Amino acid sequence: MSENLVAANESFQHDPDSTGAHGFPPDILRAQSALPSAIDAERRLVGAILLCESRLTRLRKLAILRCVSEIGGNEHCRDLHGQLPDESLDDYALLGFVAKLARHAPWVSASDVAALRSAGVDDELILEAVATAALGQMFCTLANGFFPSDVSRAVSSLPDPGDLLETAGPYLGSRARPAEKSQSYAFLKEEYGFIPNLYIVQGLRPDLVEAETYAVERIMRRETVLSRIQKEYILLAVSAGNLNTYCVSMGAQIISILGGASLEECDQICEDPHQSQIPSGDKVLLHETRKLAALSQQLGRCFAAEQLQASGFTESQIIEAVVVSSLANFLNTLQAGLGAVPDFPVRRVLSTKDLYPASGNSRPISDAAVPEDPDAEVVRRVQAGDVEAFEELVRRHSRRVFGTLAGLIGNMDDVPDVTQDVFLKAFEHIGSFQARSKFSTWLTSIAVNTGRQLLRDRKPLEPLEEDEDEGFRPRQIQSWAKNPEQLLAASQRDELVRIAVLRLPEKYRVVVLLRDIQQLSTEEAAAALDLSIPALKARLLRGRLMLRESLAEHFVRSRNQES
Amino acid sequence: MLTCADFLAEFGDYLEDAVSSNLRAELEAHLHECKTCQVIVDSTRKTIRIVTDSGCFALPADKVDLIVRDVMSRIRKKR
Repeated sequence: MSENLVAANESFQHDPDSTGAHGFPPDILRAQSALPSAIDAERRLVGAILLCESRLTRLRKLAILRCVSEIGGNEHCRDLHGQLPDESLDDYALLGFVAKLARHAPWVSASDVAALRSAGVDDELILEAVATAALGQMFCTLANGFFPSDVSRAVSSLPDPGDLLETAGPYLGSRARPAEKSQSYAFLKEEYGFIPNLYIVQGLRPDLVEAETYAVERIMRRETVLSRIQKEYILLAVSAGNLNTYCVSMGAQIISILGGASLEECDQICEDPHQSQIPSGDKVLLHETRKLAALSQQLGRCFAAEQLQASGFTESQIIEAVVVSSLANFLNTLQAGLGAVPDFPVRRVLSTKDLYPASGNSRPISDAAVPEDPDAEVVRRVQAGDVEAFEELVRRHSRRVFGTLAGLIGNMDDVPDVTQDVFLKAFEHIGSFQARSKFSTWLTSIAVNTGRQLLRDRKPLEPLEEDEDEGFRPRQIQSWAKNPEQLLAASQRDELVRIAVLRLPEKYRVVVLLRDIQQLSTEEAAAALDLSIPALKARLLRGRLMLRESLAEHFVRSRNQES
Repeated sequence: MLTCADFLAEFGDYLEDAVSSNLRAELEAHLHECKTCQVIVDSTRKTIRIVTDSGCFALPADKVDLIVRDVMSRIRKKR
């Protein structure tokens, strides 16, 4: 979409302010030339956050923008912000805080802000840094929407689902209401009937509040190509994807007041738009725009404008959907960094569990990132009735199926028979295999499910201690030998590994088996296990650390080696 | 400066070489100072190496033909 848009809008006049902010005219503004009110809103934010004279120097702001785009894996924005002098990156405390805000916004807490203060960063600098990071997220979301091929898809891990989110705020000391005669005051009173906490906590910088309310008014209030309700739905869904309880509770209230979905229906939209009662086209709209959210991006999913086009959305509507998503990310980041407390009773505090909802739509249902399936031709022959062609598939994949089952069920005497059963099941159901994943991934999922079924009737080996709530913390901290493999014969090592793997709780064991022993990619393993990529990665790390604990006593460096 | 908890939160991606250059620099600055995290990184990498290289769940090469033969025999019998 982006190239067409850029080519069609060559006549776009570059704004001298934005040119000054970035060093050259930003394509992300040019791509929105069909929506002058959005460009106007973004210019105002750029002016108030980047261009104005403030405590934070321009160089430090650019370092923050660069940090946000690096973390977002957004090559377009990273190039836009250019190479920075090395000394601008020496701001460890501030950049560390921004990195956490950009990467794990819901986990930012009052203690992070307190740590900044103790490093000598005062509240005004913190506010400016948070606003700059929020602007950086807005840029990244716009670029992800307009230039999806520039997203490097560098997926990052999220904290484990068991971790608690700290929500107590606000984090900054100063609180003030906008002046009664100001434009922002008039807008907020008319829009909400009160001054939301998100703006009160920015009392140190009334000009920022003016710019933010101006942007909200220009983007959300104007009836443009999407309806107001559709835009509010996007804000709600993106905020839910970012686990932003504040923006979700605010958004749900506004939607119900505007006559859109009820509060209960808003809960459903947050959980899974596909299960809600909204029009089917809007379900696709929310599914795609939620992928633009910062956390969702980390799930390795990419915004697909063509899905919206297929649902009847025009190019202008798609552009506006991207713009509204970017505003949602701006507001979410601002709130997460400042800790504004909700203005309405919270119906449900969003937690990490909401990152892994039950819906299959939120999970990687295919590993289409690898478009070529080397088995495709043979599978087609079998599906067309060539029974003997199945022999080639058995030959190719017998090692993986056998290894997966051996690691899952443990009893080697049973494994050959169960391996045969898996291939028979695959043969019986190959007619329904639709190539949404590679054949090998589909076959692996059959093997895992068959192995799990067998395990249900068995008494397991004693598992390692597992503490879901407090998280797993490494306990063994003695150095290992330089070449631990040389301490034991291969057969002894294999036996130790076999016992250690079989003692892992099943949910960690199967992930270690697929990733480290069968050498599947992260995407393949996640698809085979029907897990999100962050969940897969969290379990893999936990499994590896548990194995390390289990094997440590055999491989730690002895005193003789030490000397 | 990162704490050990910060380091562990990013450890999975660090192992997979999936962190940005800025974050990598921060993590390595922490590693330079922290003996405990150095040990955890080193021993986890060795754990992965030992587990990956292990053949403990491998199908012996001479058993492949046997499995192929038995599977195809059962399929033909069913038809």
